[in-house]
This record gives sequence, C-alpha cells and structure tokens, in this order.
Amino acid sequence: MSVEDLQQQFVAAMNAASTSADLKALRDDFLGRKQGRVTALVKSIASAPPDERRALGAGANALKQLIENALTVREAEALAAAPPKDALDVTLPARQPWMGRRHPLTQVQERVEDIFMAMGYQVIEGPEIEDDWHNFEALNMPAEHPARDMQDTLYLSSPVPVPDGGRAATLLRTHTSGMQIRYMEHHEPPVRIIAPGRVYRRDSFDATHTPMFTQIEGLVVDEGISLGDLKGTLNTFAEAFFEARVATRFRPSFFPYTEPSAELDVECQGCSGRGCPLCKQTGWIEVLGCGMVHPAVFEAVGYDANRYTGFAFGVGIERLALRLYGVDDIRMFYENDLRFLQQVAL
Amino acid sequence: MKAPVAWLREFADLPDTARVEEIAERVAGVGFEVAGIDGDVIDFEITANRPDCLSIRGLAREAATVFGVQGSVGPGVQGSGSPGVHQGVQGPEIQVTLESPLCGRYALVLADVTVGPSPSWLVDRLTAAGVRPINNVVDVTNYVMLECGQPLHAFDLARLAGPEIRVRLARTGEPLTTLDGQSRMLDQSMLVIADRDRAVGVAGVMGGATSEVSSATTRVALESAWFQPVTVRATAKRLGLKTEASSRFERGADVGAVPASLARALDLLEAIGGGRRVGNLIDVYPAPAAPRVVTLTRTKLDRLLGDHVPDADVTRIAVALGFATTPTGSDWQMEVPSWRVDVSCEADLIEEIGRHWGVNRVPATFPALRTAPGRSHAGVLRTRRIRRLICGAGLQEAVTFTFIERAAAEWFVVDPATLVSIANPLSEKFAILRPSLLPGLLDALIYNRRRDIDDVRLFEAGAVFEATGEHQRAAWVLCGSRQTHWSQPAVEVDLFDALGVAGVLADAYHVTWRTEPDLQSPWYVPGRAAALMADDGTGPRHVGSAGQLRPEIAAARGLTAGVVVAGEIDVHALHDNTADGRRITALPRHPAVIRDLSVLIATGLPAAAVRGTIRANAPATLVAIREFDRYQGRGIPDGQVSLSLRLTFRDRDRTLTDAEVQHAVERIVDALIKTHHVTLRNH
Repeated sequence: MSVEDLQQQFVAAMNAASTSADLKALRDDFLGRKQGRVTALVKSIASAPPDERRALGAGANALKQLIENALTVREAEALAAAPPKDALDVTLPARQPWMGRRHPLTQVQERVEDIFMAMGYQVIEGPEIEDDWHNFEALNMPAEHPARDMQDTLYLSSPVPVPDGGRAATLLRTHTSGMQIRYMEHHEPPVRIIAPGRVYRRDSFDATHTPMFTQIEGLVVDEGISLGDLKGTLNTFAEAFFEARVATRFRPSFFPYTEPSAELDVECQGCSGRGCPLCKQTGWIEVLGCGMVHPAVFEAVGYDANRYTGFAFGVGIERLALRLYGVDDIRMFYENDLRFLQQVAL
Repeated sequence: MKAPVAWLREFADLPDTARVEEIAERVAGVGFEVAGIDGDVIDFEITANRPDCLSIRGLAREAATVFGVQGSVGPGVQGSGSPGVHQGVQGPEIQVTLESPLCGRYALVLADVTVGPSPSWLVDRLTAAGVRPINNVVDVTNYVMLECGQPLHAFDLARLAGPEIRVRLARTGEPLTTLDGQSRMLDQSMLVIADRDRAVGVAGVMGGATSEVSSATTRVALESAWFQPVTVRATAKRLGLKTEASSRFERGADVGAVPASLARALDLLEAIGGGRRVGNLIDVYPAPAAPRVVTLTRTKLDRLLGDHVPDADVTRIAVALGFATTPTGSDWQMEVPSWRVDVSCEADLIEEIGRHWGVNRVPATFPALRTAPGRSHAGVLRTRRIRRLICGAGLQEAVTFTFIERAAAEWFVVDPATLVSIANPLSEKFAILRPSLLPGLLDALIYNRRRDIDDVRLFEAGAVFEATGEHQRAAWVLCGSRQTHWSQPAVEVDLFDALGVAGVLADAYHVTWRTEPDLQSPWYVPGRAAALMADDGTGPRHVGSAGQLRPEIAAARGLTAGVVVAGEIDVHALHDNTADGRRITALPRHPAVIRDLSVLIATGLPAAAVRGTIRANAPATLVAIREFDRYQGRGIPDGQVSLSLRLTFRDRDRTLTDAEVQHAVERIVDALIKTHHVTLRNH
C-alpha cells in the first residue's frame, strides 16, 4: 500500500472517530507497535527495491508524524469535552502560604546599609533616648547654640538610665550622631561606620513632615581623609542606590559638627534634570547633608585633630523612599495599611 | 533674607549683564539657598552660622566675591573693628551706664526729628524686603538693619524718665509692655534697656510701648548695641518672642558695626529730611575685642579639600570676603573681620576658600581602606534576621510611632508609674514612649480591620521604654483566619498561632523556651496567655509572652468583633549561638520504633506534666514525644480529656527489639497511671 493511500484511510477513520475510546483504537490501528499499519509500512521498507527505499522511508516518517500530531490534538479535544470525574478545577486559587514583606522603610534602610557594608563600613546601633552631651554638646552645639533651633527637640519628663551606666538620657535623639560620638569615645581611628535609626523632632505631622523619621549617618575618620574622598564615596552611593549614573552636585551648607559642610543634590530622576513638579523645576533633588568633621568634635572625643581628618553624612530614609516608590505623602509609611505595604516587592 | 538686586548692586559692582536668576544661582552655589525669586527680589535662606548675611552688605560681599568684582564701600560707613567715631560715655543731653557685661557695646545718639511718612523709594525697598513701613524714623532704623545687619532702636526721648539710659538685668516681676502691645513679666535672667525708673525695652529683642516713636515725637534717642548672643536667645525663648532684631543678635551681630550703623542712620535721616543729630555720638565699649588672627596652612588646606587651590585664588577669595591676609612662607595669616563671628579656626578658613573655589571642582577620590572592616553590631544583624524570619512565617512588618497616647499605653503595663513621658509632646497622642510594641501594632491592626481587611498579621521589631531604660523587642499581632482557602472552613486564630511565631524564632536561633501559664500580663485574657521561659542552666528566665488580647482593649481602641492574639519577646533572648547552629549531628543509622498512646487525663493537667512523667520513666532510647491529638466532648467523661501522644524510640548503635520497646511503654503507662491516674484508651 502506498503512503498516500494509507493517509487517506487515516483521515477517513479519524473523521469517523468521536470518543476517547475511538481515538485509542485508531492510535492502535495505525501506530501500534506490533500490528499498526504505519508500523507495517515502515517494516516493509527493508524489502522494497533499493532505489525506492529512500523516498518510501521519508514518506512513511512524514505520515507517522502527521498521524501523531492529529491524534494529539483530537485526544486533547476529546478530553476537554469529557474530563475525568476526579478532575481538579485548576483555575481555582492556589493554597498559597502567607507571605510577609519587610516594611518599605526597612527595605530602603537595608539597601543603604548594604551599599555601605560593601564599601567596608560596619553598621552600629545605639539608644534612641540620649543625653545632651552625645546629642548636642560633643557635636559642637553647646547650650543656647542657635543651631539647636534646626533640631527642635523632644525632652523626657524625667531622666532615664542608660545601659552602660553613663549619663542618664534626657531627650529623644534628634539625629543618630550620638552613636558616632559614643563609638569614637571607645574606638581609635580608622573609623568607617554607618549609624541607622529612628530620630525625633518636635515637628508637625503632615504630608511632608513627621515627628519621627529614620536616618542613616555615616562617619569615616583616618589620616588624610579629604573632601574629595567624601565626594567619591557619596557619588558611588548615589549610583548604587539609584542604579544609574546620576549627576550630582554639592552645595556649601552649614552644620555645627562639620566644616566645611555641604548638601548633596542628585539630578532629578523624574525629568532627567530638565525640571518638573517633583524637583520644583530645579532639575535637582536634595538628598543628604555632609561635610568634614569639625575639629571641635574630635576634641570632644579625644582624637588628635592635627593627625586625623574625617567626613560625615546623614541621609533621611523617608526622603529616599518617597523617591524610590513614587509616593507623595510621607504619612503612608506610618499608616501600615496592608493595601499599601503589600504592594512593595520583596 | 529678601534681597532686592538693585540694593545689592549698591554694594557690589555686579556686571550689568548678570540677570537676577544668574545672580541667585551663583550666590546659591556658595551656600545661600534660594527660597524664591520675585521680580528683582531674591529670597535667600541664611544658615544659622551667617548672621552677617542677614544683611544686604553681607550678601553683596558674597556676590562680589563670586563674580570677582569690587565690593564698593557704598553709601554710609563700612563697619570695622575700630572704636566708634565719637567717643565718650556722656553726651550733652543723656547719660549711658552699662551695668551688665551681657552688653558688650552700646552707642547712642540724639536726633531732632519730624516724624512723618518715608519717601516712596524707601517704602518700596522696605516692602520688597518684607518689612512693613511705619514712619520715617522707624523706617530708617529698619533700613539700616537690613542694609548693615545691625538692629537699631529709636526711643522717644520725652517719654523717658530722666535723660538717662541704663543697661541692666531686669528685676524679678518687672513689668513691660512691648511694642506689640503685650504686657510681659520680666525676670532676673533678662537684660533690659531702662531709663532712670523702669525698663523701656528688652535688650536685643523688642522695645517698650511707652517710649515708642509717635507722630508727637520731636527728639529721639537712637540706639545701636551689641548683646551677648546667648542672653538674647534665652530671653527671646522665655518670652516666646522672636524678632528681626533677636534673630540677628542671637546669632552674633557685628560688634564693629555698632557706631558705624548709627552714623549711617543719621546720614539717611538727614538725607530724607527726617531729622538731624544733636550733640555727640556716645559709644560705650568697655572691653574692645582683640583682632582675631587665624593661620591657614597650605598643607592643611590641600589635605582637607583633597585639591590644590593656587595661592592667587586663596588670597583673592580671602581678601574679597574681608580677611586681611598676609602670606607667611607657604601659609597665610588671616585677620578675621568683626562681622564673621562664625570663623575661629583653620577649618573655618578652609571652608571659606572651598566654598568660593567650588566644592564641585574638587576631584572625587575614594578613601583607602587601611584595616579590615569591622563586624557590624550584633544587634543590627539580629534585627535583620528576626525581620526575615517573621516575614517568612507570613507576617507583614509594620512601622509604628515610638510615642503613643497615655490611654493606649496604660493597658500594657502593670504599673503606670513605669511609663516614660515626653515633657513637651506635640500633642497628647504622642505623649508617652511606648512601653510595649503591642499598642502600636493593635492600632495598626484595627486600622486595617476598619478597611474591611479581615485577616491581619503584623509584626514590628524595635525599642520600648520604661523608667529603668530602653529595651529591644519583637512583637506581633494576628486576627482573622488561620488560613483562607475555598477548600476549608475558616478557622479563627488562637493562642497557638501567636506561640508559633515565637517558635519560629526559637528554632532559628537554636534556643528552647518552655511555656507556662502567664499570670503577669494583665493585657491578656486570663487562662489564654503563655509565658515563654528560657533556661540556660541558671534558672528559668521570662523572655516574653503570648496570648489572646483582652477584648475590652481592642474595643477601647475601636474594634468590637473578633479575637486578636499577640506575642512579644525580648530579642536579647535570641543569642546568636552560631557555633551550635552550625554543628550537624550524624543521621541515625538504625530505624526508629514508633508507639502511639492515647490516655484520658484530668482536664486541668498540663501536657507538660504528662510529658515530664513520660520522660522521667523512659529509657534513653525515647528520642521524641509529640502530642498529635487532644479531644474533649462526646464519648469522653466529664472533667476528662483524651490526649494522644506519639513516642519515638531509637538506639544509636542497634535496632531496638519489639520486646524492649513494649517493656518501656508498659513502664511509662504504669507511671502515668500511678502519677496522674490516667486511663489508657488504646494500646
């Protein structure tokens, strides 16, 4: 029998088949290992004249493939038309384990920490309630220093003892710099640390302010640390954080504990520096404050200000998070609305 | 500080081609952020260290330095460190006495005036700079303050008791009605300007109403002085009175500009036909400030900036900013001008050079790592790990405020006296430092429940506070169903879900916590609270608790339906016992033998007691005990409960025989019967 005849027979038989059982019989009839008609055809090739074998072989294989494909399609159709009685509805929701996410502020904080850890920084921790020395005086802000106005402070009604037996805490820290003072009081340079944590200011609670926010401060002290080193470090940070080559700009500023002091702006990601509502048409976004450690701070912790220099910087996590997630109201980070929190990728 | 550019140009020869925006941008580039531009007026933000730039002259000096142009002397006399133009403590008409060192310099001059409106150019300038015009005399004092940075004050001489000014401390309870119409009670910490009888002004803050210049005034005493910044700041704060004058004095006014500003005011008064001087200018300056000279060294300059600023630029910048500069070898001696109260050390000079050289020009480098980086603090790493573990257990991290309201806090302490309160809270909602993480989490849970989210699982890791100190905790709250799936009926969470979270942490850290009824946490429903007890050989230690929150607490916070369970632990109980966690014991090579045991026990008998008895009476080959069913109800006698346990026996070195396991189980059963009067249900 020729390949063409066999094909015609198959098409006719397939058109007649309707149930899964019919198709099973059809498969056996044509492709069965022992008695299948195509199988027989293939077997007959060996006895065909040598000059016909090649064409016969190719034709038989093509037919086999054609039948296989046709049967697969028809079998699937038959199964869909009459599924097994114990079939599961695979379109139902899965039994998925609960999945918690770290808070977006945590994710941004750890992202910043990770960038600096990769640069050889150690992350330190410290108390959220502080004494006046660690929060202000050691940072070149004696009592009645006008710069204290920049950090409107929340005070405790009565002093609370601290674990290391030092001065009792009298206030909620206004920045994490106190941790750096404490670290320098107990370690000699070189210093390369990151101090993250909650800080508190007597500030209103609205779309752009909170009386509590998260800050990460960094400090590097060694011989020969320069403003250039500060720039290189922060440029590296900005690129790692925004995952892009971003233009940066340093503007002179003032902090009592650094001299010179500067603020770092990065090119607005929303408009690539052309100006948009996000950056108030300036093309720049203010990211952090920084500067070279003031010699008075070194004196307060007993470092030799002639031998060592250092830089410090402080960045607000909420401000970075607003940019990263495209959120315009800082209060959303503290409402803990699951519909908000669970939108954040892990 | 609102600066009209036309006014700036009087003191700096800025190029005619320079547009307002360009001037704003370039001055911003040396540290004076621009808050806004309105026509010709640039609003600069002045940092707390630069009171000299709360003036047109100061800003013009910066602008001239930026543009590399001459800063002209301009109208009036440039302030300097030199003593006043007319010296003497007694003028023809009035006597000045300084009774307190808190006033460092006091100058006074009399003038006959014709009070009336100011000319329109003056009115326009004051208005542009944001100061309300009043009358020509007061306007002149304000004009000079804006121009020179030196606040002046004019007294109506006729209203003073006697031709006498005394600068003294106020008397306790001394009354004064200030220019704003407020009557104020002064105290001994405050410096006042007084006449013979009484205070007529709070020094450096605000004048008194009685001696205010009015249309009837014909002769004024014009005051220019220097007060200790700290006293002005403290007084302004105590009085709750912040003025243009106080904000300049408390940052540090220019002691050198005291008489010169007065001279400028007289010139101006005369020029607008408002009045003229009578007699000499009195200038009391008991202890003139010595010139301040700071050395700038080439090595420090290069080292701190990480850049080399050429000699010519160093000199150019310093001189333009008013520093009298003398090169000494490779270094410089710089005399600090009297208006630069912020400059006292070499780093300050380096900042001046750096600002005007351009921080953006300094090449970016990277600090060398001289030693191996230190390990981050254990607490930091522990918090990171705890967060991941609890997230893995299916809870969402929350971040709640550290300060809460007293009513929310009091539920979660045994003794409200241990609460830590804030002396100056923003509001009563933020008055207490949280004694536990649970009140904040409960409020967050309720927030979600009220938005129709039924199943809420939240946790937080952070600090809590009590009178004895600050502690680190982790806590969690759960409500709703244990699992929500179409295939199963919803089952509400209970105590054991809350305990499970603690179990995840304990497992991860290889620590063991025993549970016992918690009788010390009044925020939990009695009988539905478990204390977590650690025992590292030194006796049991309470490390946390879990339980079902009392419904009245949730109700008080606004949630009336459903069970809320919670747990909280001291994270220090999670020792980072890395060595233990890493050691792997070889797997058993011999099969285990398992025996299930069902017993009827008295309802009140804790499972831990049953387990203890089994353990005490079993051979060492009993390697695990696990409760797998607990049933009470139909078929079980009242007061009893059926408890099913699975016992796993295994020997490290050989396969156990049925007979010996059987023997062990019989011993256990005998002991259970004897100790707890249990009834065996199967076996």
